[in-house]
Amino acid sequence: MEPSEAREHLEMAERIVAASTRHLSMRYAAPSFIVWGVASGTVDLIYGLIARGFVPPATQWIGAALLAGAVIFSAVYGRRTRNLECGLTFLQREFLNVLWIAMSVAFVVMVGGWNIFPLFAMGAIWAVAASIVLFYIGLHENRRALSGGIILVGSIVIGNFMPSIVGYVLAAGFYLGYAGFGIAELLARA
Amino acid sequence: MHDAVDELLLSKVRLGIVSALLASEWLSFSALAEAAQTTGGNLGAHLAKLVDAGYVEEEKLFVSRRPQSRYRLTARGRKAFLHHVAQLQSFVKGAS
Repeated sequence: MEPSEAREHLEMAERIVAASTRHLSMRYAAPSFIVWGVASGTVDLIYGLIARGFVPPATQWIGAALLAGAVIFSAVYGRRTRNLECGLTFLQREFLNVLWIAMSVAFVVMVGGWNIFPLFAMGAIWAVAASIVLFYIGLHENRRALSGGIILVGSIVIGNFMPSIVGYVLAAGFYLGYAGFGIAELLARA
Repeated sequence: MHDAVDELLLSKVRLGIVSALLASEWLSFSALAEAAQTTGGNLGAHLAKLVDAGYVEEEKLFVSRRPQSRYRLTARGRKAFLHHVAQLQSFVKGAS
C-alpha cells in the first residue's frame, strides 16, 4: 500500500463516520408523531370549546380518553418496532432516551398538575416539550422537523396574543406542526 | 506495511462498512450500501467476509412480513478498526 492510498483510506473512514452522525433515522417514529399530534391537538381544541362554552365541561373526558389511547399506542407500537429501528448512533439513542424521559415527565406533570397550572398553561408546556423533540430532529438536517418545531413555538406566541381562541391556536400548532411532521415523514418515504 | 495492518480492512469497501457501523447501533443492508457507496451484490460479498471474521454481527428479521438484515460492529471489529486506523496513521506519518 502506498502512503497516498493509506491517506485516502483514512479520509474515507473519517468522512463516513462524520456522515453517520448527521442523519437521524425517523423510519418508525412517524406514526407516533401523528397519533400524539392529533391527540394533543384535540385536547387543546376540546378545552378551547369548553372555555368558550360551546361544549359542556364533561367533554374533557374525551380528551383524557384520547391521551390514554396515545399512551397505549406508544407502548404497543414502541414494543413492536423497538428491535426494527436501524441507523441510530449510540449518541443519538442516548439523547432520544433523555428526550423521551423529558416528554414523559412533562406529560405526567401536565396531567397530574391540573390544579397547579391554568388551563392552557398545560397545553403550552406540552407544546414546548414537543417542539424541543422536533428541533432536535431538525438539527439532523431534517427541515420538516424544523418547520414543525417553528409552527409549535409560533402557536404559543400567537396564542399569547389571542387569549379568547388560544385553545384553537395551540390545537392548530399540534395538528400542523407535530402530526403534520409525522405525515410529511410518511409521505417522504412512500 | 502489509504485515502491520489488518488484511481484511485493506479493502476500501470493507473499511467503509466498518466505518459506517462504528458509531451506529444497527444499520440496514441498504443503509450500508449507501454509506459504503457500493452495489448490493458487492456489499453482500464483503459483508460475508466481515461476518465470518467476527467483525460484524448479522441479524435477520421480518419487517412487514418481508425478510430484512441488519448489521452491527462487534467488539472484535471495533478493536480491529481502531488498530487498523492507528497503523494507517503511523504509516502515513512515517512516510511524510
